[in-house]
This record gives sequence, C-alpha cells and structure tokens, in this order.
Amino acid sequence: MAWNEPGNGDKDPWGKRGGNNEGPPDLDEVIRNFQQKLGGVFGGKRNGNAPNPADSNGGGSLGVGLIVAILFVVWLLSGIYIVEPAERGVVLRFGQYHTTAMPGPHWHFPYPIDHVEVINVENIRTVEIGYRSSGARPEGSILSEALMLTNDENIVDLKIAGQYRVKDAAQYLFNVRTPDSILRQMMESAVREVVGQSNMDFVLTEGRSEVATRTEQILQEMLDDHGTGLSVTSVSMQDVQPPEQVQAAFADVVKAREDEVRQKNEAEAYANDIIPRARGQAFRIIQEAEAYKSQVVAKANGDTSRFLQVMTEYDKAPLITEERLYLDAMESVYSRTNKVMVDVDSNGNNVLYLPLDRMGKRSPNPLQTNNSPARIDLDSINYPSGQTNNASTDARSRGGR
Amino acid sequence: MQSRLTLYVFTAVVILVLLSASVFFVDEREKVILLKLGQIERSDYEPGLHFKMPFVNQVRRFDGRILSLDAQPARYLTGEKKNVIVDSFILWRIEDVAQYFRAMSGDEENARLRLSQIIKDGLRAEFGRRTIQEVVSGDREQMVAELMQEANETASEFGIEILNVRIKRIDLPSEVSESVFARMQAERERVAKDLRSRGAEEAEKIRSDADRQRTVLLAEARRQAENLRGDGDAQATEIYADAYSQDESFYALYRRLNAYQNIFQGEDLLVIEPTGDFFNRFSSESALTR
Repeated sequence: MAWNEPGNGDKDPWGKRGGNNEGPPDLDEVIRNFQQKLGGVFGGKRNGNAPNPADSNGGGSLGVGLIVAILFVVWLLSGIYIVEPAERGVVLRFGQYHTTAMPGPHWHFPYPIDHVEVINVENIRTVEIGYRSSGARPEGSILSEALMLTNDENIVDLKIAGQYRVKDAAQYLFNVRTPDSILRQMMESAVREVVGQSNMDFVLTEGRSEVATRTEQILQEMLDDHGTGLSVTSVSMQDVQPPEQVQAAFADVVKAREDEVRQKNEAEAYANDIIPRARGQAFRIIQEAEAYKSQVVAKANGDTSRFLQVMTEYDKAPLITEERLYLDAMESVYSRTNKVMVDVDSNGNNVLYLPLDRMGKRSPNPLQTNNSPARIDLDSINYPSGQTNNASTDARSRGGR
Repeated sequence: MQSRLTLYVFTAVVILVLLSASVFFVDEREKVILLKLGQIERSDYEPGLHFKMPFVNQVRRFDGRILSLDAQPARYLTGEKKNVIVDSFILWRIEDVAQYFRAMSGDEENARLRLSQIIKDGLRAEFGRRTIQEVVSGDREQMVAELMQEANETASEFGIEILNVRIKRIDLPSEVSESVFARMQAERERVAKDLRSRGAEEAEKIRSDADRQRTVLLAEARRQAENLRGDGDAQATEIYADAYSQDESFYALYRRLNAYQNIFQGEDLLVIEPTGDFFNRFSSESALTR
C-alpha cells in the first residue's frame, strides 16, 4: 500500500530504522539532504522554488539513482530486529508462517514481505478463579465464580490460581484468537468438573491438592487439544471454605469436635483423679487392717505373756497372791472413784435417792474428786433396801454386773 | 531530460499501484474469500502471497482462529424438573468460509447469536434427560459429545465447526441455594450434635468406669482388710486361749480384777456399804482399837 506513494513510503522505513543504526543528528541530516533532492526532482516538474536548483539540474539521474540506492539500503536495514532471551520471534512471510526466531539479533525481509511478532514465552502469567488479587477490588471473593456444586449437592467456596506461560509461540499466535481468556474459561470449567465429581468433605479436607492436580491435568489436555500453545506450570488451591451462609455451622462442628475431646479429657481427668486416690485409700484400708492384725496379735502376745508370768508367780503362793491382787484392785478402784458409804439397816425398806446428775457434774476432774468426797445430805436420801442386798455380796460378783 | 525523468517516476508509480492492487497476502490467522463482483470466486487460500484482478476482485478476510463464545448463563430444567443455572462457553471456528459468508454475510455477531441458540437448544435437550446429580458429577464429556454431534449438524449449514462446548458452572437458582444452605446447616448441626453426644457418651463411660474401679478397689481392699483382721483376731484368740487355758481359775480372778479397775473410773460414784466384803474389817478393826 504505502510503498507506491513516495512521500509516505520513504518516511516509513526511516522512522523504523531510526533507532537501530544511526543517531538522530545523522538522520536529520540525511532527511534534509533527501528532501532537498526530492525538492529538486519535483521542483523541475512543478517549477517550485527548490533550495538549490543548480544542484538538481546538474545531478539529474545520478541523484535519483543515489536516492534509490540509499532508500534500498535503509529499507534493508529496517529488517534488523533483536529477540530478547525470554522471547521468541515468529516470522511471517507474506502472512505465511516462516520461522520462529530464537533469542539474539536477526534480520528479516523488511515490510511488506516479512513481519515479525515477538512473543514472551518465559513470562509466567496468572489466572485466578474465585477471587482477584489485584484490580478494582483485590482479595475480594467473587461468589459467582467461587461457589461450586459438589457431587453430594453441597456448595463450596473455592479459590484457585493457575500459572501458565506460552509453550509454542506460533501456536499461541495462530490457533486461538484469545488464548488467555479461553484458558481462563477452560480452567473454570475444569475446576468445576473436578469439584462436581468430588464430595464436599473431600474437597474441604484431604482432597485439596488432588483437586488442583486433576484440574491441571484436565486443563492442560484441553489446551493441547485446541493447540493454544499454552502450558500450565502450576495450579494451586488458594482457599476452600464452606459458603459464608453455613460457615457458622461448620465452625460449630469444629467446636463440637473440640468439645468431644474436651469432655473425654475431663472424664479422663476425673478418672485420673479418683482412681489413684481410691488405690491409695484401698492401700490404707489394707494397711490399717494389717496394723490391726499386728496390733491384736502383739497385744495378745503381750497380754498373755504378762498373764503367764503373773500366773507362774501365783502358782507359787496362790492364797496370798490372790488376796494381794484383790486388795490392789479394790484399792485402785476405790481410790479413783467417788464413793458414798451408806450404813444401812439390812432390814430397812428405805429408798435412797442420790442426785446422780449433780454429783457427776460437780467435778470433771477425777483426781480432785478423790480428795474431796461428795458431801451428801443424808436426810434427803432414801435408800432402797433391795439393792443393798445385792451389793453386799462379794466384790467378784459386783465386778460382773 | 526533466520531463523524461518525470515520466519514469510516473510510470513507476502506476506500475506500483497496479501491482499492489493485484496482490494480497493471506495471514496464518485468516481465512479469505475472493469475490468477483459480489460472487464468491475462490475460498481455499493457503497463507501467503496471492494474486487477484485489480478492481474486479475483492478480498474478504475472516478470522480463521478458534473463537470463543461465552454464553449467557441460562436456566435449564433437569430431568427431575429442577432448575439449574448453567454457564457454558463454546469454542468454534469458521470451517467453510464460503458457506459462512453466504449464511452469515460475514457478520460474526450474527454467527454468535445463531451459535448460542443452537447450543442452548442442545443443552436444554441434554439437561432434560438427566438428573442434577448426573449433570453435576456425571460424565460431562459424554454429555457434551452428544450435544456437539447434533449442534454440529446445524452449525455446518453456517460453515461453522463447533470444537468444544464446555460447561463452566452448574448452579442452583438462589432460592434453591438457600435451601441447600439450610440443608447443609442442618447436616452440620447433626454432625455437631453427634460429636458432642459422642463426647458425652465417652465421658460418661470413662467416669462410670472410674467409679466402678474405685468401688471395686475399695471393696477389695475392705475384703482383704477384714480377712486380715479376722486372721489377727484368730491368732490373738488362739494365743489367749493357749495362755489362759493353763489356769482358768486364775484367769478368772486376774481378768476380773483388771476389769474392775478398768470399769470404775473417776466419774463413777460407788455406793458402798461398810459391811461389804472389802470393808468388812472396819468393824473388827474398830473392835480391836476399842
């Protein structure tokens, strides 16, 4: 189109190669020079005021040839291009795929024969489903994307991200009109397919990474099927939650799980508290019994030992020992107790009343009582005769009472 | 000389114009038809450089790449008469560019409209044959394959090939979603209650087991204790019997006297008659002194 119009056709390559080889001052000079020449060419025809008519008249065909030559060289130079390390250059010749240029400097036939499209193949691009980490509302959940139906007709809120890059620059360019947006749709579809085949509990718990892996597989298959020239490098699950509406209930289940453990622990604590105590108590009971047994046996041994020793001596002098023992005992008994001695007519029927309660209270200390025998108003005492008859038997029968 | 030069230039320009009007490039990304005064003359161009008659032939270019059509989410009835909202996208491309040009007169919007209608019809039929369960978790590929087969028959009349129909979203309508949420909630509550009462069950079991263990431990201890005590008592009894049986009358005396001493303590009041056994010497004694 443009190359048949000298005015534009000339300028176009100039502008293109300006940055490639020559610095701006040279370029300006060449343009000025060229315009002068051009002015000469057309000046002759239109009789315009050329800056230097003498030159154009004199230089004639030679000037035109030079201009054409320069134009040709400049046109050729405009085919130089550089492919950066992360890029590939896809060369189209008359619109047909020719080669893919690897990184480095290259040359192609200039416009309009060849055309180069440079594609970055290393750049990792990201696609996010269910949320956007950048943009107008970053981090916000996009519910229409994030809510997905599971196999058991539950709904999960899922955020997943994929990373991809261009695998084949030519495929990327030629096969699909909008590869990036198609990848996005394919990924959304793949995730939902995987989630739709899984149960909610699986997706929420142990299946997180598996969902991502299977999504990646399905996605890559689809991308390859349609020759998008894209390659998925990773798919990672960002977040899986139950939907907001039921999160409280889900949280409650977690709490319930904790409660369950807590209740068990409390019960264990109770058990741990009482069983060792009971064991200790049991031990004490046995020990006490052991002690009792030892005590009883020891006491029996002691008692009998004492008895036998006394008996041995008693056998030597039974009468005097019996008397002595009797007197010792009586003495000890009478000396420790309150005593009332009543001389009663053995035939009388008087009833003796003793204020037993008063006398018992009067002195708590038995030693004091010994020193100060109770003084009883004998006038007020009525002595029952029946009792005295029993009391007047011997001391041995009194002890058995 | 100057006019000759002008002639050259003029000739060159004319040649260039003619040349540019009679060649055209076909890009890798394009499908091209050549029209001759409105009639389709040729449509099977490979990418590259091609020629045409200037001014007589016209070139129409179409995108030859795979195109995507993101269909609007639409409601479909499933086999069990439940509504689902389905969002799908379609990958398609121009298969027969001449056909496409005739049918759509090259208008892509028109093509999209027709395509989405075709797919919608197909999806409606497919969904009507399946339950939600089958739609959500079933074999989407198979469903789509059946759908595509029919859709492609229609689409080929427009020179279009449907490459893939992917179902992105199958959502329940919002009013159904609410009841799904309610169901999920109830389900969780069930689980929570179950967990809690399991906890209580376990706790009760542990507690009662502990109580049982305690009771058993103590009872066992008491059994042993009584056993020991009995043993002790038996031994003691044997010892006493062995010893005391050596002189029973002395034992009676000895034991009685001990008992007297133990029985009568400070608080007791003894009522004594002077003529008793112990005091029987009072009178004789006084008789002696007298």
